Amino acid sequence: MASFVRATAVASAAAPGTMPDLPLPPPGGDWMARADAIAGRVAAALKAKAELGDAEWRRLPCLVGSSSHFIGAREAQADAALEPPIEFADRLARQFGVSGPVMVVNTACTSGLTALGLARDMIDAGACPHALVLGVELANRLSTAGFGALGLLSATKARPCDLERDGLVLGEAFGATLVSTSGPWRIAALASQIDASGFAAPAPNEAIIARAMRAALSAAGWPASSVDLIKLQAGGSPAGDLAEARAVRGIFSAPPRLVSFKGAIGHTLGASGPAELSLLLAALARGQVPPTEGFAQSDPELGLEPRAADGGAVRRVLFNLAGFGGHIASLALARE
Amino acid sequence: MIHLSAPTLARISTAELAPRAREQFGGDVRRAGTFAQLCLLGAQACLDGMPRRSSLGILWGSTYGAREAARAAIREVADGELVMPFTMIGTLPHLAATLLAQQGAPVMRAAFVHLQPAGWPWLLSLARAWLAGCEQVLLGWVEESAAAGEPHRSDWCVVQREPAAVSCQALGNPRGALPATNADWLAQMGAWLAAPRAPLALRGGSEAWRFAAGR
Repeated sequence: MASFVRATAVASAAAPGTMPDLPLPPPGGDWMARADAIAGRVAAALKAKAELGDAEWRRLPCLVGSSSHFIGAREAQADAALEPPIEFADRLARQFGVSGPVMVVNTACTSGLTALGLARDMIDAGACPHALVLGVELANRLSTAGFGALGLLSATKARPCDLERDGLVLGEAFGATLVSTSGPWRIAALASQIDASGFAAPAPNEAIIARAMRAALSAAGWPASSVDLIKLQAGGSPAGDLAEARAVRGIFSAPPRLVSFKGAIGHTLGASGPAELSLLLAALARGQVPPTEGFAQSDPELGLEPRAADGGAVRRVLFNLAGFGGHIASLALARE
Repeated sequence: MIHLSAPTLARISTAELAPRAREQFGGDVRRAGTFAQLCLLGAQACLDGMPRRSSLGILWGSTYGAREAARAAIREVADGELVMPFTMIGTLPHLAATLLAQQGAPVMRAAFVHLQPAGWPWLLSLARAWLAGCEQVLLGWVEESAAAGEPHRSDWCVVQREPAAVSCQALGNPRGALPATNADWLAQMGAWLAAPRAPLALRGGSEAWRFAAGR
């Protein structure tokens, strides 16, 4: 059985009008009430696109990719007991009105995409016809302080692939994907790798990024020349963007269309899979490859120029993510 | 039908953890926090008992994950301090897979999960699916000590297509199966395997699996 992306929705902090997303309410106030409100908003948008009956919707299993889950709610109560992260996921599932089994997946920045892979496993095995995959990273000081302490953040802005890039900018997002037995985009392959040398550095080994991309192409049965678009991981990290560029150039004699979303919405860590997937597929549905916010000046060492383009002819997409701890994933998507 | 190794059930006191890790890995495990060390010790002990294969998946979970490091990091943030890099790294449970790869395990796929209390059948279902791309899948459930005097727990087994200590299949009907939780299903299987008479049926939520002594 094959799996498809049937519908997506996302709330992010992109500048108004620049991305096909829902706005996030401003940070502040009760953290959990804000999370509930965001979940409700994204749930309504996804359900409107999903074309599932109420009973089918209620039965959905829910897989939540997140690395920070509800840490933001606990920062105001540092001495309070920590609840199991599954309780936050259960709460999100209730906001979506689904009552199937719930799981939290944490592989840091690839969490949401790992969750999508597990949903695909279940559907391909015939365990369920549809699965809800969420990617959730909401405001918290721990992620920012931790990435800052590791020296990974830009002091100014994210500049993916740009000559002046100097680090990541973290962002908030709540992405939702309905994976199903039918839909407009077929999941042709999802390949993952672990770069054992990458612990605090965001995937600096281009050979392993290339291995993930080649594995996705091989599993999809695609020659590299047939890929129309690569959604880059590119977050503006000097070493990370360079490693990915070398991997891309080693596989593609002439890189296809390129795009990165991290200049527009920041690096949304475990949410980035569902969040960026939603932005990408919504833009392609409008016939657009959106511009890569933050990219202005080419870096000759990278040799990549992500720019706005016609997306109407895009049929095959490689979707890259790489994350903390050397977890790397490449998703191959085919437009049906 | 899939096959499982005999589970490896590690109970390690708080004081023992670091010395055990040093002894097992020939020195301090670089940058590993409590949770990752605990995962690594149990997983490696489980792998050591099985023939080495060329591709491995690692699928493991916990109720709380790296609770000790998360508390420390939240305190540092609340105090207005920078979060120390090793504290931050210690909060990330998935790094155990990276550490296992650093020890030479051919890790092809990895996922760290939190489940509802009786969600463990998902692990077996997913492991069965992963066997399409991995020769073996390490399944684990790991909990840091929650109270003074209580040991850390790191329980693991290997799932594979080739015959092993236990054969295992999903049951269509969970009626009659013994209830089991994420925290005790591997221990229940281990206790049964010590003197297996009839096959063991365990239930988690609405799903059940049947275990029979293999080979």
